[in-house]
Amino acid sequence: MTTTVEQRLDATFAALADPTRRAIVTRLTAGDATVKELAEPFDLSLPGISKHLKVLERSGLITRSRQAQFRPCHLERDQLDAAVDWIEANRRLWSQRFDQLDVHLRTLQANPNGENDA
Amino acid sequence: MPEHVLNFTRVFDAPRDLVFRCMVEPHHLTRFWGPIGTSTPLDQISVDARPGGTFATVMVNDSDGSRYATSATYVEVRAPERLSWLEGHSGMAVTVTFTDLGDNRTQVDIEQSNVPEQLLDPRAQAGFLTSLDRFASHLATLTVAQR
Repeated sequence: MTTTVEQRLDATFAALADPTRRAIVTRLTAGDATVKELAEPFDLSLPGISKHLKVLERSGLITRSRQAQFRPCHLERDQLDAAVDWIEANRRLWSQRFDQLDVHLRTLQANPNGENDA
Repeated sequence: MPEHVLNFTRVFDAPRDLVFRCMVEPHHLTRFWGPIGTSTPLDQISVDARPGGTFATVMVNDSDGSRYATSATYVEVRAPERLSWLEGHSGMAVTVTFTDLGDNRTQVDIEQSNVPEQLLDPRAQAGFLTSLDRFASHLATLTVAQR
């Protein structure tokens, strides 16, 4: 299970490692959009944008409708949330760890003998 | 250089030697390693602080007793300035740098990277953290992260 989660996170982070793809994802947080709409702000051809969309699609960050003619792109928020959550959880882990280390260091220095006993 | 996915910095009011030892000696690690609500039993911390050596811990959830084992391999051990390991459970590379700031103060920098090849482009990395921070603020509905 861990492997799968980690692999998905890797794919998410890899997909987000490109500025154009990050911009696409940011645009999609505002709502679904067609390829043409997504291409507009960028100096990119439709095939160029399609390449980025394929990477995002493979990572699971976006899905594209199979029915609609213009196949709008849809952001899979759960997947993005998972990546953001993971970063937040990690930040919290180190933050708590360091809070506790800070207390421990103060105790050690207030009572240097305690350190020798340990 | 692998990409830095996450960076943390903290300054401690303690000499560098002592801070370094806290990161590699089990009787110190047991006091702070597990996040709040967990404990890290001393007898289950295994530290062989040399390149190729093992760094393993078990974090026990105080409320339900559930256990989370971690296992890493040291890559670099240079007392008292630098420590790095590769985590088997997460696939992350963690580098800890200890900087003596004088006046009994020590800065500790944590750099964590996972190493998908696609992230090895430094330009890609530059905007990475800021973007994700931005995403975090964009998204109204963040679920509470798992333990």
